[in-house]
Amino acid sequence: MKYYTKMILLLFAALAALLLGIGIGSVYVSPADILAIISNYFFETPLPETLPVSYPAMVLNMRLPRVFLAFLTGAALAMGGTVTQSILQNPLASPFGLGISAGAGLGAAIVITFGLTAAGLGAFLLPGVSLSFALATVFLVVFISSRLDKGVSNVTIILVGTVFSLFCNAVMNLLATSAPAYTARIQLWLSGSFSMKEWNAVWILALASILGLVFFLFYSRELDVMTFGEESAQAMGVDLVKLKRILLAAIAVLTGAAVAFVGIIGFVDLIAPHIVRRWFGASHKKVLPASALFGGTFLVLCDLAARTLLPAREIPIGSITALLGAPFFLYIFFAGRKNQ
Amino acid sequence: MLRIEHLSCGYGGTPILQDISFHVKEGEKLCILGPNGCGKTTLLRALAGLLPSGGKIELTGSDLSALPVRKRAQKVALMSQFSPAAFDYTVYETVMLGRYAHQAKGLLTNESPADRQAVEDSLRLTGTWDLREHLVTRLSGGQLQRVFLARTFAQEPQIILLDEPTNHLDLRYQVELIESLKTWSALQGRCVVGVFHDMNLALSFADTILLLNQGQIQSYSKLEDFDLSLLDSLYNMDVRGHMISSLQRWI
Repeated sequence: MKYYTKMILLLFAALAALLLGIGIGSVYVSPADILAIISNYFFETPLPETLPVSYPAMVLNMRLPRVFLAFLTGAALAMGGTVTQSILQNPLASPFGLGISAGAGLGAAIVITFGLTAAGLGAFLLPGVSLSFALATVFLVVFISSRLDKGVSNVTIILVGTVFSLFCNAVMNLLATSAPAYTARIQLWLSGSFSMKEWNAVWILALASILGLVFFLFYSRELDVMTFGEESAQAMGVDLVKLKRILLAAIAVLTGAAVAFVGIIGFVDLIAPHIVRRWFGASHKKVLPASALFGGTFLVLCDLAARTLLPAREIPIGSITALLGAPFFLYIFFAGRKNQ
Repeated sequence: MLRIEHLSCGYGGTPILQDISFHVKEGEKLCILGPNGCGKTTLLRALAGLLPSGGKIELTGSDLSALPVRKRAQKVALMSQFSPAAFDYTVYETVMLGRYAHQAKGLLTNESPADRQAVEDSLRLTGTWDLREHLVTRLSGGQLQRVFLARTFAQEPQIILLDEPTNHLDLRYQVELIESLKTWSALQGRCVVGVFHDMNLALSFADTILLLNQGQIQSYSKLEDFDLSLLDSLYNMDVRGHMISSLQRWI
């Protein structure tokens, strides 16, 4: 199959997942009704007469932002995962290993336990603090790695990242246990959720994802070269140390923004690039857009499962990604092996 | 062509190489020999610009160390020891990456006809043209190292630096790799500076031998003038006797 055919298939899968995600819930809204509601909003076309009056508001204010947020989070995490794995030449690497999730978690825990509020920021205080902590952690990891090791080698980054993650997690746990009243809320945030989100979050994440995609595509050939090793990348003309810092900062902003709004959702960043590389090859020009689409689609479907599998209760999205993702990943991985 | 003068170099303040001077002419193949830890790899890394160094590294009159990474990569290529590929690129894609230093940066850069020609020539020269659609992750060590050599050729450098490129390869692949390199340097009139662990391979490849000992040049001469007995004191064994006695078993 040609690249464009595969891309179009993936695009259709993404659209189908979006329609399913918007349609299925406490009440079912058919794809035709969804399109009619969207078209009514933008072009003031008439709504079907049989459509209950409450549906347009529900679709526009609750389901659409939730589903889009899930899609964009998946896209951002999958791109972050792809680039992290390439920079570190490690197919098991994840942006969370750089300290992003632990930093974001610590930031959120601080806001929750100390009941911080800020006039004018409102609902953006927690994501704002959380993102700042995620960024600060990654910058510290890169800064300390470059102090320890002039070449900023991958092993140093992974080691320092792990140390910082463990440290932030420890402080966060300390906070959570010392303030039992907030433990449940911190736990809830940590397991990730797309519920009760507003359009503002969607716009911010959409901007971050699109800029991230363009930025990473700009460096797609450098990323290709970097996967073959740092020394050979430098000898082939890549200004490695500088570029690595820039790319790590971009990963931190992109995945940090995603995590800050929805909490820590693991696994997408790890498996999406793998599965996509199996279908599309390794070239970043193809892998980046494809893993964004795949990651988005995957997370929309996971969110759908999270809110529909148990009646009247929501399963934490982080558990679903791992529950569905782990067997799916193993299947893809070993099915691919057998064909070799 | 390549002129090194009073080169010194080290890691974090500890000097490894001191006062190294030599010069490689067009089409010449220089082998660096010496015991473990004598600074062979450090010298190659300094020449490749991977390590900061003191002294002068000049290529056809221009100062290499003053060049930005990309410009330098248009002139000097490094082929390292064998390392496995981690991601599923095709052979063709991998060799095309060798063109990186010659291509414009950015979002919409496409492969030029010159890029494709260089890649095809390199694939043919290394005998990997038929493998071009294969994934590098599925190749044997010997095939993969030939692909990396093709990528090095595609970079169209004036010098190729080799860091024990035949390690872990079986004899046939070692010989093939060496033959490809000889052909390349003869065709292009360009030079090769290599570190080989295998003495036989080094002697069959080199025009000139640079013997390093504890970061300094012990001897620097044409192959035919090279005093083999120097190796004995350096490796603290009868190198020549060892080679001859193993050869006699064949005969």
